[in-house]
Amino acid sequence: MIKQSGILLAGKKTVLSTVTAISIMSTSAFAHFQMLYTPNTALKKGQTIELKHLFTHPFADEHTMDMAGVEEFYVINKEKKTDLKSTLKTITFKGNHNSGKAYESTYKARKMGDHVFILQPVPYYEANEDAYIQQITKMVVNVAGTPTDWDAELGLKAEIVPLTKPYAIWEHGSFTGIVKSNGKVVPYAEIEVEYLNRDVNMKSNSMEKTKVEAPQDAFVTMTIKANKDGEFTFSIPKAGFWGFCALGVGSDKEYKGKELSQDAVIWVEAKSMK
Amino acid sequence: MIKKVLLSLTIASSSVFAHTAIMSCFDNGDGSITCEGGFSDGSSASGVKFRIEQNGKTIFESKMSEDSEVTFKKPAGKYSAVFDAGEGHAVHIKGSDITE
Repeated sequence: MIKQSGILLAGKKTVLSTVTAISIMSTSAFAHFQMLYTPNTALKKGQTIELKHLFTHPFADEHTMDMAGVEEFYVINKEKKTDLKSTLKTITFKGNHNSGKAYESTYKARKMGDHVFILQPVPYYEANEDAYIQQITKMVVNVAGTPTDWDAELGLKAEIVPLTKPYAIWEHGSFTGIVKSNGKVVPYAEIEVEYLNRDVNMKSNSMEKTKVEAPQDAFVTMTIKANKDGEFTFSIPKAGFWGFCALGVGSDKEYKGKELSQDAVIWVEAKSMK
Repeated sequence: MIKKVLLSLTIASSSVFAHTAIMSCFDNGDGSITCEGGFSDGSSASGVKFRIEQNGKTIFESKMSEDSEVTFKKPAGKYSAVFDAGEGHAVHIKGSDITE
């Protein structure tokens, strides 16, 4: 009898520690995503566009992080690289739960073809993990429909090279990319996928109302894996913006004496068929 | 022989069909307009004919530069920019739709 209750007690302890572990995990389960956002990535003609640069959780929006700064911000059009770092202005971006330090910029997307934007932020210190996160982020805007640079491999430390035009995806279509680091494929890379679950208010620098409720946490940040060739495909269930983040695939592993997760992010936009 | 000719015609026409001619123009804000031509497969428009039409007449004729661009003085009144990549592949843009 005594022995049995002892076992029972041990069992309860196990249950309790599991519960604690789950609650700790769930706070960090929603993925951090560096956003490099403009409301329309497929422009009919050349025009000046507005961009917002914020570090958030695109689906849950339960915390907007303070960006630590920007190391590099540039655009490539017809193989010509233009530095845009001086165009960044500091803003406070208001999420549904808090506000965080972010940036905005404007860009004259006049030339036809693809404008490939790259944002490399200063690594962000994540106190919960006592580690740094740096998400090298790619976003492609196309003017008038001529393809020029969207599939370029830039040889970044962490990079998702698209095999699908990131701006020309119908709702219910799919996106295919290859995870690379310094030009080499990263087999079986772990990729987090999130839907931007709110419209971004470009005037007030804030998030609008939630669009979709997740049935369970596995649907908030969806984790998929690349295959042996670093390739992955994801079917896009809903129009809007989708972020893909290949975790820790970058060649830099340490920053200021602490662990660094150097991630590759790409944003794609699906349009509804209406 | 006929079969071969037919086959090559089919191939040629299908590849032409797949390439849509595209043009985008903007006002430089200094009294000049720049038009840029291209094709949906990403190929260059260098050397492709370009003209400006006003009241049914051609008032300016040129060819796309190495960068697939043409810059011209903004005409007074109504006009159209025409990127002429051959029959069925001409793109017309109204002057009133060309903004900074």
